[in-house]
Amino acid sequence: MPFRFIHSADLHLGKRFGQFSGDLPAKLREARHATIAKLAEYARKEGASTILLAGDTFDTETPAPDVRRQALAEMHHHAPLRWVILPGNHDSLQAAQLWASLRSEAPDNVTLAVEAAPLDLAPGVTLLPAPCTTRRPGRDTTAWMDAAATAEGTIRIGLAHGAVQRFSEEGTGLDVIAPDRARRSGLAYLALGDWHGGVEIDPRTRYSGTPEPDQFKHGRPGEALLVSIENTMALPEVTPFQTGAFIWRDLALDLLDGDDAIARLQALIPELRLRRHALVRLSARGHVRLEARAALAAAIEKVQPDFGYLAFEDDDLTTECEPEDLDAIDHGGALREAADALLAEAGDDRLSSEERSIAQAALNRLFSYAQAVKA
Amino acid sequence: MKITALRLFNVKRFAGRGVAIETIGDGVNVLCAANEFGKSTSFEALHALFFQPHSGTPKAVQALRPYSGGNPLVEADIQTESGHFRIRKQFYGQKSVRVTDLANDRIVAQADEAERFIADLVRGGTAGPAGLLWVRQGVTGIERRSASEEESEKQVRASLLESVQGEVEAVTGGRRMADVMAATEQALGQLVTATGRPKAGERYAAAIAERDQLEEEERRLSAEVTALRHALDQRAAAEKRLQELDRAEDHLKRQKEIEAAEAAFQSARSRADHLRTSEAELNLLRERRDRAAREDAEFRAALVKRADIRSKLDAAESQRREAITRRDGVEMAVAKARQESDIAEQEEQEARALLARLDAALVARQAVEQLAEYENRLALAETLRTEIEAGEAALGLMKVPDATISALEALEPEIAGLRAVAEAARPSVTMAYAPDAPVVTLDGEPLAEGQARSFGRLAQLEISGVGIVTLRSHAPAGDDDRLRKAEEKRRGLLAALGVPNLAAARQRQEAARREESDLRERKTRLSLLAPDGLPALRKMVAGQREAIGQALEVQGDPALVRAAHATAEAKRHAARQASREAEAMQAGASQAVLAAETAFARLDAELKQVEAVLGPEAMRAEREQQRAVALADLDAQLTVKRATVEALRAEAGDVTAAEATLRRLRSVAQAVGNDVSELRKDIAAFSAEIRARSDDAVEEKWRQTIEALSAARVRVTGFEREVAVLLRLRKALDEARSRARDTYLRPVITELRPLLGLLFDDVAITFDEKTLLAQTLLRNGQEEEVERLSGGMREQLSVLTRLAFARLLARNGRPAPVILDDALVYSDDDRIEKMFDALHRQARDQQILVFSCRQRAFQQLGGNVLRMTDWIPTP
Repeated sequence: MPFRFIHSADLHLGKRFGQFSGDLPAKLREARHATIAKLAEYARKEGASTILLAGDTFDTETPAPDVRRQALAEMHHHAPLRWVILPGNHDSLQAAQLWASLRSEAPDNVTLAVEAAPLDLAPGVTLLPAPCTTRRPGRDTTAWMDAAATAEGTIRIGLAHGAVQRFSEEGTGLDVIAPDRARRSGLAYLALGDWHGGVEIDPRTRYSGTPEPDQFKHGRPGEALLVSIENTMALPEVTPFQTGAFIWRDLALDLLDGDDAIARLQALIPELRLRRHALVRLSARGHVRLEARAALAAAIEKVQPDFGYLAFEDDDLTTECEPEDLDAIDHGGALREAADALLAEAGDDRLSSEERSIAQAALNRLFSYAQAVKA
Repeated sequence: MKITALRLFNVKRFAGRGVAIETIGDGVNVLCAANEFGKSTSFEALHALFFQPHSGTPKAVQALRPYSGGNPLVEADIQTESGHFRIRKQFYGQKSVRVTDLANDRIVAQADEAERFIADLVRGGTAGPAGLLWVRQGVTGIERRSASEEESEKQVRASLLESVQGEVEAVTGGRRMADVMAATEQALGQLVTATGRPKAGERYAAAIAERDQLEEEERRLSAEVTALRHALDQRAAAEKRLQELDRAEDHLKRQKEIEAAEAAFQSARSRADHLRTSEAELNLLRERRDRAAREDAEFRAALVKRADIRSKLDAAESQRREAITRRDGVEMAVAKARQESDIAEQEEQEARALLARLDAALVARQAVEQLAEYENRLALAETLRTEIEAGEAALGLMKVPDATISALEALEPEIAGLRAVAEAARPSVTMAYAPDAPVVTLDGEPLAEGQARSFGRLAQLEISGVGIVTLRSHAPAGDDDRLRKAEEKRRGLLAALGVPNLAAARQRQEAARREESDLRERKTRLSLLAPDGLPALRKMVAGQREAIGQALEVQGDPALVRAAHATAEAKRHAARQASREAEAMQAGASQAVLAAETAFARLDAELKQVEAVLGPEAMRAEREQQRAVALADLDAQLTVKRATVEALRAEAGDVTAAEATLRRLRSVAQAVGNDVSELRKDIAAFSAEIRARSDDAVEEKWRQTIEALSAARVRVTGFEREVAVLLRLRKALDEARSRARDTYLRPVITELRPLLGLLFDDVAITFDEKTLLAQTLLRNGQEEEVERLSGGMREQLSVLTRLAFARLLARNGRPAPVILDDALVYSDDDRIEKMFDALHRQARDQQILVFSCRQRAFQQLGGNVLRMTDWIPTP
């Protein structure tokens, strides 16, 4: 019978999302906590006995006591499922207080993989954990696995947190895990954490990605991996599954003159029901007419409440101005004169792009004010 | 630009037909016709020609199309500085536009180029008063507006706007500009203050405040996180160190080392004690041996010394004897010298006594002599005194007062005079004597020969031998009284003096003077004898007498005696000198004796001491023997002991080193103990800090704050940009408006003012320079509300304003026609005439087209009357 387990990482429990306002941070925070139950449920459904958390379970070295205790309580609730928690860079062993608290509070079904020493997961299955001893270990924490002795025929599973070559959340390049560690150490599978988007390095080495995204960077939904290992020789069977509650998206609205900006927008953004759990950064680019631009801004303002979060960025959107656009402001007189001056300035290559952009924005504003006055 | 002809075909009511208005000239042109004749159609067609692009079909163009449809065609001939052109524009089907130069019938421009040609003609830039010069019935501006606006404008003709504001709006943007400006200001006002600072209480300021607060918070939390991490690291390090220090095996090892060191130290110390004892014994032995050796040496030295002393003692003995002998000699010499000295002394004393007596006797003799002299002086003095006293007594008697003398002297002549007088009166007798005759006396006194003598009442002449003759006078005695009195007085005075007469008085006076002089002399002599008075002299005498007493009488020659004394004195000196010298010698001799005695005694004592050291003579040899034996024995013992000590010393370890080792090991253990307890304390402190901060979730807060801060920064940047945009917009609006004002409004007011004077002689209107709105209205000196301008006045103002604009354009080298379509419907005839005057006056350098249905009223206008003719367009 194959050994089945869930591979997840980077739960970042307790992350506060200070960049958002209102109750969104609380929702995001709660969603992270909820992933524990989701992972457990899937494990039970798929008959997995163990959940490996490859580091950064907690967002900081000093999570608030409620974050810590509630997480442990939830894990306890899912006994006899076994949870293995590995210290990552965010919650490294340097956070002695955290680990001391966890040691004293952890229920029986929670194992703390705080030592680089073989750990029996099941008969014939040994876990080789590589905990982060400090925030930046400055070395390959998995190096010890090469020499770690296990009984003949034992399934060796590695568990580590950190960068493999360029895959690093922190962007440092010093403490790199050898990408071929699985081969070198004879691992059936190496479960990695740190990179928030799931990535397969080789058939035996994978980043699970975070089960609940926390940034716009990856553009992937939250997911985890179900791993099934038949024996030491066979390749592991890996099945990703969705876990994320919120979706984070960077959306680009590329417009050409004549495009129906509103229609393009509607096509781009998620369907209405999903918007509540969507965090979207929308950036408009290309060219648009004054009127369309005003309409687009109005449309975005209108859909904004649908979203968990919607940011609109139009610095790269150029306004095209035809005479009739200016006529909409005024046919002549001082208003038209002002509009002409702003348009000229917006297209004046001698000025800095900042000045041009401001002139353009001032023209847009003039347009919308003129429309409002006319109405 | 001037319009010389207008032609239209298939426009509005002229469906399928064409009309032309030719010969439009300079100055005022009037097309006066009844309603529905085609005036407004012409007006609209002309307007479309100039302002509607041929390609579009906006409402204004749609309005041109007749109900039957078709393609409206409009054509106008114009005169400009550069020539005479024809513009032809067709809308809808076969829409086209073209400009032909009438001079050569060449097409100058078509399509878009032609449109640009037209635009250049009428606009002169977007800011120009395009369409301004078109005044339509009840509508001020011709530019396209919403129907509702147009409608409402018709309705609110009464409003002030129509008159001037239309033009103002067209140029300055007017109300819309004001609204846009207000919107901009409001948006800006919600962000910044007038000076451009973030406005307190508003979103921008709040965003900045939030950002600043978050920055502050971030700094604080960052510091806390750093502190926490530091504490964690420190505690980890401390724990690691504690683990190293507190290892049990190390502890045991240290304990064992300490015990070993202690044992080593103890044994080293006991060996050291033993060594010290032996060394003490060795020292004792050495001392004993040294003492014995010393005693032996002393004994030997005493023997030598004794011999030495003995010889010295003998010498001292002989020295002593010599000294005594000498001293005795000296003493005898002294005695003799003393004796001699005494004798000399005696002799000298005697000589001196004799001399003294002699001197005394001499003195006494002198004193006696002195006394004799004193006594003599005294006697003389006494005598003198007695004489003086007698003289003084006599003088007292003799002394005649000078006054009395003077009185007598005065009386004497007087009496003589008086007597002479009396004598003269008295009988006298004279006697002549016969030789040898006897002397006759008168009253007893002889009568001298020849001498006449007077007498009184009775005189008796006695003649010796003859008898007595009595003579009597019977003459009266009368005046004798004064004489008597004077004589009485004289008698009195003389009696007092006791003298018979003046001569006697004078004699006495003289005698008294002599006496006085004598007396003075005696007194002088007395004072010489006894300068201090007699008593003093007497005292001296008494004293001297006493002093003399019983003066000795000594015999001898003082000089000899003195010489003898000198000799004796010399002898005494010599003797005393000799005696002194002898005495000095005697002291030296005695000293020598004493020294000799002392030397002897000392040597004797030394000898006795040495003898004592040596002991009884008989025992000496035996004792020497004993000492030698003892010394040898001690030497042997010493050698043995020394060897023992050397051996001990060699085997005794270094106690100090052993102790140092022990101390070091103990301090190591102590230090470890201290370190351990310090580390435990540190760890406890760090733990407390870590727990506090961990429970506070400081890092979560920190990250949260960082995220919030970046969001806040973006927000602030957004606001900054918003402010920049609004400021830019405001600047653009301000600039455009003020440029419009500067270019048009002010000059227009300048142009307008004379026109107003022309039309309203009883009304003065002032305009706001900024808005060109009528501000105040003065009628007959009364200020009235501007709203009370009549409708007629409004339209007149409107027309005048346009005329002013036109004039301004003309002056700027861009003349344009003013076109009025039933623009003066509300004006009464009187006003209209005045208006006509204004138009004509204006029309001197200005083309004016007037469309009106008021035929009768406009007959007065004069000017070039236009007619409509049928027209078939040429292809």
